[in-house]
Amino acid sequence: MSDSKYIRNFCIIAHIDHGKSTLADRLMELTGQVSERDMEDQLLDSMDIERERGITIKLTPVRMFYSADDGNEYELNLIDTPGHVDFTYEVSRSLAACEGAILIVDASQGVEAQTLANVYLALENDLEILPVINKIDLPSARPEEAKKEIEEVIGLDASYAPLVSAKEGTNIRDVLEAVVKYFPAPSGDSSAPLKALIFDSYYDNYKGVILFVRVKDGEVKPGDRIKTFRSDKQYDVVEVGVFSPGLLPRQSLSAGEVGYIAASIKSIQDFAVGDTVTNAAAPAAEPLPGYKKVQSVVFCGIYPLDGSKFNDLKDAIGKLQLNDASLLFEPDTSVALGFGFRCGFLGLLHMEIIQERLEREFGLEIITTAPSVSYKVVKTDGECVYVDNPSHLPSASEIEHMEEPIVKADIFSPPDYLGQIMDLCREKRGVFIGMTYLDKSRVKLEYELPLNEIIFDFFDSVKSRTRGYASFDYELIGYKPAKLVKLDILLNGEVCDALSMIVHEDSAYPRGRTLCENLKEAIPRQLFEVPVQAAIGGKIIARETVKAVRKDVLAKCYGGDITRKKKLLEKQKEGKKRMRSIGSVEVPSEVFMQILKTNKD
Amino acid sequence: MAGIYVHIPFCKSKCRYCDFTSFPDKLNLAESYVACVCREMSKRSPAAEGVNFDTLYIGGGTPSVIDKTYIGMIIAAAKKYYNLSPSAEITIEMNPGTVDESKISFYKKCGVNRFSVGLQSAIDSQLADLGRCHTLNSFVYCAKLLKGENFNADVMIGLKNQTAEDVQNTIKVAHAFGASHISMYALTPEDGTPIYTDYLNGELPDGDEVAAMYAAGLSCLESLGYRRYEVSNFCKEGKESRHNLNYWHRGEYLGFGVSASSFFKGVRFTNTFDLDEYFKCILSDNFAVIDAQKPEGEDAREEFIMLALRTADGVCLQDYKSCFGSDFLTDYAAVIKKLSHCLEVGENRVRIRPEYLFVQNSIIVEFFA
Repeated sequence: MSDSKYIRNFCIIAHIDHGKSTLADRLMELTGQVSERDMEDQLLDSMDIERERGITIKLTPVRMFYSADDGNEYELNLIDTPGHVDFTYEVSRSLAACEGAILIVDASQGVEAQTLANVYLALENDLEILPVINKIDLPSARPEEAKKEIEEVIGLDASYAPLVSAKEGTNIRDVLEAVVKYFPAPSGDSSAPLKALIFDSYYDNYKGVILFVRVKDGEVKPGDRIKTFRSDKQYDVVEVGVFSPGLLPRQSLSAGEVGYIAASIKSIQDFAVGDTVTNAAAPAAEPLPGYKKVQSVVFCGIYPLDGSKFNDLKDAIGKLQLNDASLLFEPDTSVALGFGFRCGFLGLLHMEIIQERLEREFGLEIITTAPSVSYKVVKTDGECVYVDNPSHLPSASEIEHMEEPIVKADIFSPPDYLGQIMDLCREKRGVFIGMTYLDKSRVKLEYELPLNEIIFDFFDSVKSRTRGYASFDYELIGYKPAKLVKLDILLNGEVCDALSMIVHEDSAYPRGRTLCENLKEAIPRQLFEVPVQAAIGGKIIARETVKAVRKDVLAKCYGGDITRKKKLLEKQKEGKKRMRSIGSVEVPSEVFMQILKTNKD
Repeated sequence: MAGIYVHIPFCKSKCRYCDFTSFPDKLNLAESYVACVCREMSKRSPAAEGVNFDTLYIGGGTPSVIDKTYIGMIIAAAKKYYNLSPSAEITIEMNPGTVDESKISFYKKCGVNRFSVGLQSAIDSQLADLGRCHTLNSFVYCAKLLKGENFNADVMIGLKNQTAEDVQNTIKVAHAFGASHISMYALTPEDGTPIYTDYLNGELPDGDEVAAMYAAGLSCLESLGYRRYEVSNFCKEGKESRHNLNYWHRGEYLGFGVSASSFFKGVRFTNTFDLDEYFKCILSDNFAVIDAQKPEGEDAREEFIMLALRTADGVCLQDYKSCFGSDFLTDYAAVIKKLSHCLEVGENRVRIRPEYLFVQNSIIVEFFA
């Protein structure tokens, strides 16, 4: 059992690619957590997707030991946090397990919008914040200006901020010293009844659900009977331990520590993330404050490419939800795509990552429908419903009016690109709110934007129009009435429900036209002509035609060719099997992605 | 009735679209090669005892490029080792740039009664683009030598800079010089051939243009009295290639020589594509087979359908029943219903409607499991 005086629990906050994972790796290296030789770059980012995209999605705690200049040995628990705005929920979970947060600021780029959101989140959680200026090795580094920016923009004292280069390993020890010096030791009473916050979990085939906990009060050890405040289910603790970074069993965990509990828990529902674990024999009086309820912002349908794989998809989504409580799903059916799920996500990136994980980690082939937001529909009878699935939209005659979610977006950019950004926001029906010069080279633009305009390609457009210099962050601020219509796509005269979407009236025509054009390219020619139409209500607003196939024949077919030609036809047949039939039209799954492309540039 | 195929893997020069087993620089090996082919025929013959053969087809490559006496040896061997009917159809493929009067009269003496001439196009620039070693004049010379004979002219569509009118003109030339049979087929740019680069560069006509050429060719052929009996094959009455019809009727045949395929007693087998390997096998008194399969059940049915639907007559319900013991209309009821607009269901036949013959793959694959 460790004395909590010598424990520091902290996380790292940083903008994407400001060097968080690299710094974390250096800290582990310096504390001997992993030898340089064995180290694979960026240890914390263990998911394939994380490494490829250079982002952190999941929380990955790790424990280090550090002999400080004051002569004491400290136990440092580092809980990694995702940097992207989509993952605010994950961040708040990790923050709740810490007393301090390292804020990494890029010495050449200064403070970024996304960082701010997480800094405020940390301040809300009463965390001590230690600014660290990274990338001082870069020729464009301007550490003093970065410090000034921290003081001006965030209002933190940056005078003691270590100046480091995580890449080169410069001044890493300063960071550890500052952690020990400036971050408070965890408070908490080891002799009080057990209170441990579950901040993450995953399913292990042998041990059942593994709970990642921060022990606030009391102590937990194998043999203890535990429960949560929400459920009556009780389990006997089989194993407790710490992250090293793999699971390392220990005799007990006590107040102030971060570790895991395994208790042969079968169902995640009994011990949900955000719950407080306590001792069933001597329970605490009240739980720790949990997390804000997750709010899905973006929705889409996910269907198995092969209809018979529905159960595989169900299992896979269930398993992903185990350690990603922010993923919401419910069964759904589509005329075109059969049985699948309607899923809710924290944002677009979150959606993409879930799709990729389903494909990669579970080897599933899936079809996703166009992302949508949740619209508020006020019906003529006064009833108010929320609709995120276009096919559930009441008929036009039943709708009194509709409202769409609005976000307040902060876009940070060098002044040179203001024109381009303002043009983009205007195209996206944005309402200009204000503009602030943060310093000579950075401007903050504030806009109110409809969420449905930014879920498609807004982020990419901002980046491409500003050559990657601008960054942006948004928060939901409420609903506003808007003229929204349901845009249907008809293939050979039949509505394809999987391609329907809710759009603003003004963009319905161009959207319908572009979509028909894209679909015309994506739908293979059939034995008959296929009209592709866009319609609002019963009114056709755009049409393209997929011409009938005119040549599909194997030239010569004589003696020696027969086996080879049959193989060619078998291959053609395989391709056909991967298609979905919409009425009499056979459509490859890529077609359903066409809807994501708003224009051809 | 069964067929015999003999492959001659030599040619004067390699055409730019050629994907067949053929060597332009190994003519010196022709004598040894023909000796090996005869040896292979001899070695295989016990298996064919009691089987009647009705066709012999000498293809390539360019059979007319080798010494004419070798052709005589091959025909003699076929007659010696196999029960080849006296009225057998004996075909030889020829490149118009490699023939002369003495060759043709010798072939006839040996029993050749059908000739297949690679005309391809009546436009010299298109022949040059294909890398053909002949011109329109070579064809005219060759066709005059074949006057009164039963001969086929190959015509290609889908060539660089080709128009529908060019196709019709080529057909008219073949007709004017007396071709009793015309094979009109689309150029297939195979990966690895020089013409594939033209394809990648977008220099070849697209599918719609090729379809238009085919339609133009078809109407021209029909107006000149050629009947379409298979998607790419047209002939005057009674001049069908019996050898090729046998393939489409899923009949038996034995193939000899490098890369030749056979379908005999229910087994499909193929010889090696490697010339040295072929020599080595035959000279060491072995066969040169590299792959053998016995298509059964569904596989066999799919083959039957794939081949039969190529022909204008389509699937013969009687033949299907006698081959597989079940009823075609019952076995494929759902597909036939789905494709009713493309199929013609008659008394004893199911065939692809003439206007859909050129998109037959989309139809045939529906019958595949």
